[in-house]
Amino acid sequence: MRPGLAARLSRVLAGCHPRRWRERYGEELLDVLDQHQASARTVLNLAASAVSTHLDPAYRMEGFSMTRLRRAALISAALAAPLVLFAAFFLYGMWQEGHWQPTTDDALAAVAFSPHRAILVTAFGESGDGVDVLWDATDLSRPQRLSQFEGGEPTALSPDGRTVATIAFNGRPALWNVANPRRPVKIATLPCCDGNLLWGQAFSPDGQILAAAYYDQIYLWDVADPARPRLLRTLDAAVTSPPQAVVGNSLAVPFSPQDIAFSPGGGILASATGTDQVTLWNVTDPAHAYRIAAIGGAGDFIQAFTFSPRGNLIAAVPYHGTVLVYSLADPARPARIATVRGLLTRAVFPSGLPRPSETPLCATCDGLGNYAVAFTPDGHTLTVVVDREEMSANSGRDTIFDWPVNSAGTLGAVTAAARDVADFQPVIAPGDRTVLGSPPGSHAWHAWPLP
Amino acid sequence: MAGVHGKLDGLGRFADPWLLILTSLADGPKHGYAIMTDVAAFSGVRMEPGTLYGALSRLERRGWVRPLATAERRKPYELTAAGQEVLAEQVKTMQQIVQIARLRTATAWGA
Repeated sequence: MRPGLAARLSRVLAGCHPRRWRERYGEELLDVLDQHQASARTVLNLAASAVSTHLDPAYRMEGFSMTRLRRAALISAALAAPLVLFAAFFLYGMWQEGHWQPTTDDALAAVAFSPHRAILVTAFGESGDGVDVLWDATDLSRPQRLSQFEGGEPTALSPDGRTVATIAFNGRPALWNVANPRRPVKIATLPCCDGNLLWGQAFSPDGQILAAAYYDQIYLWDVADPARPRLLRTLDAAVTSPPQAVVGNSLAVPFSPQDIAFSPGGGILASATGTDQVTLWNVTDPAHAYRIAAIGGAGDFIQAFTFSPRGNLIAAVPYHGTVLVYSLADPARPARIATVRGLLTRAVFPSGLPRPSETPLCATCDGLGNYAVAFTPDGHTLTVVVDREEMSANSGRDTIFDWPVNSAGTLGAVTAAARDVADFQPVIAPGDRTVLGSPPGSHAWHAWPLP
Repeated sequence: MAGVHGKLDGLGRFADPWLLILTSLADGPKHGYAIMTDVAAFSGVRMEPGTLYGALSRLERRGWVRPLATAERRKPYELTAAGQEVLAEQVKTMQQIVQIARLRTATAWGA
């Protein structure tokens, strides 16, 4: 800085001190400046001195000018306060819209397992949004929370446990890399289907294909490189969610864990389509997948279905509590080989408690049952869990039915057990005799061992 | 020592300049620019005008220095009795520190 400029700035800064200070020391300071060779250091020093003196309590309260300044600041603050409040509410509203907030009615929206990795994903909320939580599922009785992310629902976990498929907040399916389950990273948003409601997703057993079931179409994606998904085929099929159930005074849609699923060999894709059917697709060549058959057709929504471990059977449970078992020896002509009716009645009125003949079934309960169905890993037992919520009694009851499965696929004599637990929508962990459930409005889930 | 440190409370960033100014005024009254040149001469510290008058105003409020009546633009300052007492205390403390430092460095370093 040139000495002349520094000298001028120094004089200006001398005048920036409080008035009373200037009256006392101003002339002396100017006298010193007349003799002192000013530099940039002098300028900075005087600026700091001016600020410091203004903050000095001995000079802070002086004069009318400061009072007027304070008054102006007070008036400005009073005028600005409503604007600041409005802006705060506005920004909070935007934040609320952009972030999922659980409500007391939100139940467990989705659960996804990985067959080869001891982690699972849970999500609470309604269709189209939700916070996903990753858990260490080494011991389901003591799950360890690993991380969470705003991924949405429903969730599907790739067989290697490295990729989670969700429907993101903006309505699009998204893929998340959870190779490090403590740091999930969004790696892709699938570019399709805005406004078309997504019901479910499933990875093929080799993890190469992701099937996304929308309201009226199924999209098959090549996800060999999950960061660059490639659309292979769209299948025209209305994929439906089960009908609404009454929960308390409101309607809720219990998620169906088996809207869409690949057979264990990966050659068949099954989707709960239409009102009462499960459609089977040949996806041996996903780019040329085609419809091969449909099962069901009993006039009742199919809420849950599952393939047997060898893929030779498929078991389905319609909404009013019938078990249907089909042989897939010839997938183009599924043959029904077992039909068991009356699960719901047996769940509500177990042995020793006769059903009043004059009372219609739904008059005695708050809603129909929710089901989970699974074969044991050896394929020798078929298990159906029926969950019944008794809202009036603020309790729930699960009834567990087990049938031995003979070599022909027919079912032997049933055994039943019951457990007083509110699961809302039970899920049977694959390969494990464990049921996951979540009481409505609890925002928590629990696991209990099957008998 | 505690007494001097207690008295220094509130001097803020002028905790060093105050000692230099009191020392400069110890041999007689001086005006602002004379203090600056004297301090530079005996300590090598180039005190800027903002620092000088910031410290002088605080020392004056504490009653450690006072301006002498003069008709000139520049005002000489002199030490008050309180200022002399504070300076003497500080010098004593510094002498103790120097003495202990000499003893300990001689023991540790063989100096």
